[in-house]
Amino acid sequence: MSDWKLHTPTGVSDILPEQCGQKKEIEETLRMVYATMGYMEVETPSFEFYDVFAGHGGQISQENMFKFFDEKGRILTLRPDITTSIARLGATKDIGENLPLRFSYTGNVFRAEQTEGARLREFTQSGIELIGSDTPRADAEVIAASIEAMLALGLEEFHVEIGQVAFFNGLVSQSKISKDDAAVLCERVDNKDSIGISEILKKTDTDENIKKLILDLPYMFGGLEVTEKAEIDGLNADSKAALDNIRDIYNILCDYGFEKYISIDLGMLRRIDYYTGSIFRCFTNGVAFPICAGGRYDNLISKFGRNLSAVGAAFGVNRLMTALRKAGVESDGLLIPSTLIFTEKGADANAYSLAYNLRVNGCIVEMYIDDGDHRDAESYSKDKNIECMIRVFADGRVMIKDFEKNEIIETSMEEFIGYAAGDDEHSRCCGHEHDDCGCGHEHAHGCGCGHEH
Amino acid sequence: MEYLTIALAKGRLASLAIDLFSSIGLDCAQMKEKSRKLIFTDEKNKLRFILVKANDVPTYVEYGAADIGIVGKDTILEEGRNMYELIDLGFGECKMAVCGKAELKDKFHKINDLRVASKYPHIAEEYFCENKGQTIEIIKLNGSVELGPLVGLSDVIVDIVESGKTLEENGLCVLEDICRLSARVVVNKVSMKMNTERIMDIMTKVKEKL
Repeated sequence: MSDWKLHTPTGVSDILPEQCGQKKEIEETLRMVYATMGYMEVETPSFEFYDVFAGHGGQISQENMFKFFDEKGRILTLRPDITTSIARLGATKDIGENLPLRFSYTGNVFRAEQTEGARLREFTQSGIELIGSDTPRADAEVIAASIEAMLALGLEEFHVEIGQVAFFNGLVSQSKISKDDAAVLCERVDNKDSIGISEILKKTDTDENIKKLILDLPYMFGGLEVTEKAEIDGLNADSKAALDNIRDIYNILCDYGFEKYISIDLGMLRRIDYYTGSIFRCFTNGVAFPICAGGRYDNLISKFGRNLSAVGAAFGVNRLMTALRKAGVESDGLLIPSTLIFTEKGADANAYSLAYNLRVNGCIVEMYIDDGDHRDAESYSKDKNIECMIRVFADGRVMIKDFEKNEIIETSMEEFIGYAAGDDEHSRCCGHEHDDCGCGHEHAHGCGCGHEH
Repeated sequence: MEYLTIALAKGRLASLAIDLFSSIGLDCAQMKEKSRKLIFTDEKNKLRFILVKANDVPTYVEYGAADIGIVGKDTILEEGRNMYELIDLGFGECKMAVCGKAELKDKFHKINDLRVASKYPHIAEEYFCENKGQTIEIIKLNGSVELGPLVGLSDVIVDIVESGKTLEENGLCVLEDICRLSARVVVNKVSMKMNTERIMDIMTKVKEKL
C-alpha cells in the first residue's frame, strides 16, 4: 500500500519559493490595478452552505463541488467560485446604498474536476465585481481593467474575445426550442459543432432565417461587422438589444484604445448559467485555456434578495503564472537574502541589533544560527549565493566580507549603522539609499517602498 | 512563425487524413514513408504532424499540445473534452448503437438495472441515463464486447457498428441506433483565437475538398 502521507492529492499542489514569489507578485499587481480603479478588496469564506452555489450548472454544477456536512446536517461546500459569494455579500450585507459598488478579491476556489495535470482542483482566482450598474460602460470598465491588468503584468500578446449570451438566448426563445435542447444547443454552438447544431434545428419548427443564423453562429467572429451580419430581419427585441449592447461595449473599448486586443464572437457562450449579457474570455500564447473570463450576471444577486445587476471578471492566477513564464516575463517576486550575519561569541545582542537596523533599511538579512565557525558560515553563504557576510563581535567590532568585490572591511557597529542609515534626499521615500545599506549592493526590490533606487 | 501541430489518430483515419492534407497542398511526404517516427514536419507551411492513439487525440488538443486533431466522433463523445469540433470529414463513417439478442428489441428499456457492456462507458451512461432516463449498470470492457450478451455478462452492449457482420456472426443485432459517427476535425479553443487566420485557412481548404 502506498504511503499517502508523502503525497498531495490529485489536483492540488505545493507552490515552492520561486513560483510562490512570482504568484505573490502577480497577485500584488492585480490588486494594484483593481485598487487604482476604485475596487475595494473583500474576503468571503472558503466554504459556505451548498444552497448558495446550487443550480448554476456547467463548471460549477453539483458534481464539481466538494461537499461535507455541518453539525446540524446541512450541506456545506468548498466554494467553486467567488463571484457567487460576492453576489450573496452584495445582497445581504449592509454595504451602503451608493451604487455602483466595486469589489475585488483574491482567493482559492475548489472544483472536483476529473483531472490529470492541467485541471487543478484548487486554484487561485483574482477578480473584480462591479455591482449595481447595467450600462455598457460598466461592462467596458471590467474588460478594460482586465486588459490593464495583463499589460501591467507584462503580457504583450493576448486577445480578448467578447460575446453576448442574451443574443443567443433571444434566438432560442423565439425558436420554441425545449429547455433541454437549448442546453445541448448552447454547448454545441460553444464547440462550433455545426453538425450537432443542425441535428437540433432539424426537429425545430422556426423561421428559416433564424435557423440559418443559429447555424452560422460558430463562424460569427471578428470585428464590428459581425454584428451587422447578425442583424437580420425577424430578430426579437432581446436579440436586437443584445447586438446594440455588444456594439456599445466594443466602441467604448475602442475609444479607450484597446481595439487591437479585442474582437467579437457571437458563437462564444458560457456554461455557467448565471450569465445574462456580455461575456468575455482572454487568451494568450502558450496557455491552452483562457487566463481570464467574466461577464454580466443581472439575475444572480436577486437570488439572494436584492435586485441588482452586476458584471465581473476573474483571472486564473495559476494560468497567469504559466502565461508569464512562457512569455519570458522575468519575475522579481523571489526575495533572496543578500546578507548573512555571523554571531561571534557573546555578540547576540549586537548581531540582532545590526540585523534589525539593516532590515528596517530594506536589506534582506539572514542570521547564521548553526554551531559552526565563521568559515562554515562563509561556505554556507556561497552555497546560497548570499552576496556578503558580516561577522559581529561582542566588543562592537564588525567585519564585512563582500564576496562579489572580494574585499574585507573592518569597522565598528556604530559607524556602520550610521553609515547604513545615512540621511539623504531619499529619506522621504524609505529612509535610505540602497547603495548605502552597507553590503555594497543594489536592492531594487527588497525595500518595499515601491520605488526603484 | 510558430509551428502548428496536427494530431492524427493512428491507423486508417491517419492515412485518409494524410491523403486529404496532401490534396490541399500540405507536405505529408515524410509520413508516407514507412517508419516508426511519431513526429513529422512540413517546413514550408510550418506544420508538425504527430501520430497518437485515437483516444489521446482529444487530450492533446484540449491541452493545446496539438492545435488541430483528426479523430472519430466516437472518441470525441467518449472523452467529453472542451474543444471546437469544426468539420465533419465524412470518412470513417459508421454508427454507435445498442446491440443484443433480437428478442430484447423494444424490451430492453424496461429491464430494471439493465446491464450494459461497452468500450464506451460515458457514451452508454449519457445515452441511457440522460437521454432515456434509464438507470443502468455499466460494465467496461476493452474488446470483443459482443461476448457480453453471449456469456451472460451483460444484457446488451453499446458499440460501434460498421457493416453489422460481426454482430450477425455472433447472433446479435442492432436494437437501437444512438448516433452517426465519422471522422471530425477538432481545434483547441485558444489556438483558434490566437492563430485564427492560419487555422481558418486550412479549414476552408479542407471543406472545399469534401
